[in-house]
Amino acid sequence: MAAYVVRRLLWLPVTLLIVTFLTFVIARFGPGDPVSIAAGQFRDPEVLAQVRAERGLDGSLLEQYVRWLGGAVRGDFGESFLQQGFTVNELIFPKMWVSAQLGFMALVVVFTLGIPLGLLAARLNGTWIDPFIISALLFLQAIPVLVIIPPILWLFALQFDLMPVGGWGGLIDIWWIGGVIAIPIPDPHLYIPLLSMSLGGFAGVARLVRITALEIQTEDYIRTARAKGLPESTVQLKHVLPNSLLPVVTVVGFALVGILEGAFFTETLLGIPGIGRFTFEAVVSRDYDVIMAITSILASVFVLMNLAVELTYGWIDPRIRLGEARS
Amino acid sequence: MGGQNRVLAILLGVLAVLVLAVGGLSAILLASGSGDDDGGSSGGVTTSSGGGEVDTSPASGRIRLASGDPITLDPHIAGDALSAEYIVEIYSGLMTIDPDLNIVPDLAASFEVSDDGTQYTFVLRDDAFFHTGRRVTAEDVKYSIERASSREVASPVALAYLGDIVGVRDHFFGLADDVPGVEVIDERTVRFTLDAPKPYFLAKMTYPTSFVVDREQIEANPRNWTRKPNGTGPYELQEWRLGERIVLRANERYYGGVPKVAEVLYELAGGSALTRFENDELDVAPITVNDVDRARDPSSDLAPLYTVSPQFTISYIAFNTNVPPFDDVNVRKAFGLAIDRGKIAEVTFNNMLLPATGILPPQLPGFTPEDKTYEFDPDAARAALEASTYGSADALPSIVITEVGGGAEGRIDTQAFLEQWRDVLGVSVEIRQTDFATFLADQDAGRLQMFNAGWIMDYPDPEDILDLKFHSESALNDVAYSNAEVDDLLDKARVERDPEARIQDYQQAERLIVQDAAWLPLYFSQAHVVVNPAVKGWFEPPMVIPRLRFVEVDR
Repeated sequence: MAAYVVRRLLWLPVTLLIVTFLTFVIARFGPGDPVSIAAGQFRDPEVLAQVRAERGLDGSLLEQYVRWLGGAVRGDFGESFLQQGFTVNELIFPKMWVSAQLGFMALVVVFTLGIPLGLLAARLNGTWIDPFIISALLFLQAIPVLVIIPPILWLFALQFDLMPVGGWGGLIDIWWIGGVIAIPIPDPHLYIPLLSMSLGGFAGVARLVRITALEIQTEDYIRTARAKGLPESTVQLKHVLPNSLLPVVTVVGFALVGILEGAFFTETLLGIPGIGRFTFEAVVSRDYDVIMAITSILASVFVLMNLAVELTYGWIDPRIRLGEARS
Repeated sequence: MGGQNRVLAILLGVLAVLVLAVGGLSAILLASGSGDDDGGSSGGVTTSSGGGEVDTSPASGRIRLASGDPITLDPHIAGDALSAEYIVEIYSGLMTIDPDLNIVPDLAASFEVSDDGTQYTFVLRDDAFFHTGRRVTAEDVKYSIERASSREVASPVALAYLGDIVGVRDHFFGLADDVPGVEVIDERTVRFTLDAPKPYFLAKMTYPTSFVVDREQIEANPRNWTRKPNGTGPYELQEWRLGERIVLRANERYYGGVPKVAEVLYELAGGSALTRFENDELDVAPITVNDVDRARDPSSDLAPLYTVSPQFTISYIAFNTNVPPFDDVNVRKAFGLAIDRGKIAEVTFNNMLLPATGILPPQLPGFTPEDKTYEFDPDAARAALEASTYGSADALPSIVITEVGGGAEGRIDTQAFLEQWRDVLGVSVEIRQTDFATFLADQDAGRLQMFNAGWIMDYPDPEDILDLKFHSESALNDVAYSNAEVDDLLDKARVERDPEARIQDYQQAERLIVQDAAWLPLYFSQAHVVVNPAVKGWFEPPMVIPRLRFVEVDR
């Protein structure tokens, strides 16, 4: 087990080297460069060549990559063109942190609503409620985030004035009673983005849980459990539930990465200073150093997350416990 | 089951402790913090020291705007309108543009031009101070020009705005250590020498590239000084939280008089500005094509708050005159005569844009209201195509129009033009969309046959568009347009010292360029905004100029 983890971790730098080099080359082979974008309307070739030379963009690709790598291993990801006077680190970490908080909350909502709904649907398989839940979820899943946000805004923010239209206020807000008693509540800025981000997501989780649970209901060990007279609640909680969660773990791993990248539309439409929109802008304006930093960080997170998922598998399901598979 | 109850009890207990702890702590913080808070936010501290003749009543109130993060607050590097919006409020230069679009002295109290038109001698105001209180001197002006044009700063716009000053080119390319064209005469006087008499020099001096910066601050903190820049403008940067907000605070010792609004809050996070305006979270919001019908409807709440103002921006279709079939002027004419821009502006943009009457937009010196472009005339269009060397639509090579975009289909007006070219001329044109960086690379390399683009005026002088885009030797002439008569007029206007004769030269050049159909001018932009009635004196200038100090808030 330990040997496996170590082996996987040793691969991490190799993977990162390949990913970053490919990204570096692809980004720079793309037409255009940040200097001509920064120059706006005055793109005099002679001037741009001078600016490129001064900014170290005129050397060979390998030379530039090695210089970038030298900085990156020391944690210096360079400077942004899109936001001059700030280092890439200063720009992306606060944004990633915002996206991560929002994403984590969305993940919590998705799983706390999705898992019970899926189990409920599976439990009520054969009645009208199961197809009703599933078609309602399919309906929600089919609505793109871009489409769902305006009606949510209109209803909750403009008509009922329940929550702010956009912006970001962190995770926790304090709700005062009589100016003395403070109750920490989720910040009201969170409600609309969470609603829009999780509507599609928990539908997916619920359907996954339902289908797995249905399969498990027909397994021999469930029949045995029922046959030996266990109460139905115990059968569901102790046998069906844990086994239905296995595929969900896979989804968590991938969902986390997707979330760190940020829900581009949610962040853009609701004015949340996350990493999603910033990544898009960096790519469009060829902000090389920002693109490289985000790619490297996401690649690392992705690799580590995959490892974590594999290890969690073994913990949940002893049959696939790595390195000890001999039963 | 007993176990579950115990867990519940523990959870409730933890929650209760949390509630009490947070509540108590917040109450303490609030009680101790409130005193300082009041002092800071009430504003309007009367330490007035401004000039005698100007309004010295203290600044008060706050306005809330939606905007974005500036690319840079370094005036010498900035080349985009968004950065300039902030920079013109925080810094100032020798010259500025007033709300009536006159070019007027700013840090300069007065200036003199030598008889041959190549030397400008500026005398500085004696009541101009940096935000930190240091008086602005002629040395500051010289330092600023030299910094802006230095090789190390590598400003992509330095030569565009300062290149007329003797020595700036060499300094930029690292061939000289200073700029001999800027001389300090005494503490209050600075003289600029130009490589030729250039009447638009003063107009260029209104742009941030020549603004005055604080040498001491930059040398003490070369990397991060723009985060709390020490400028000379009517506002100073109080707070900048990336992606969240920028707060500007009135400069109480501003030489033009204390600004009336004490604090300007820019919300940077995005989101629907109009929705936030209607929720009373913003004071000004742009109106988009989706909302314009509502804003125009006299019975709507928005109608009385809605204003439309012309902008110094033109969008156009450009023909590469080097590439067949657009090397033939008759083909270009035929394309111009075959499209009905008025109709298309009405149908696709709900009349939010003005059909362009030429190249020079309204309010710009030289603008004339009569339409100089080719009017929609299908018969004349077909005749022009027949008169071309190609003779008919079948003989034309394949034609591709390129534009910026990532959609599955072209811009809606481009699609309408395509349809008209097909119906009227029988020519089928293909649309190609690319991202912005690719577009610029192709445009600069002359690889585009025909493209959709726009131009935003940088200073209110026809030279900024006609000379830069259409002189056969200009590096920015990306359509390979060349007309000896136009070149002569532009050369003459560059040095013409009689303002009226100069404008006439430009008007004549404009007519020739439009007749040659190097561009098909499409529309002039307009700013559509709604403004909170509590905000007085708000205006949308056609280009970026300092404006916050003319605004008042009444609430």
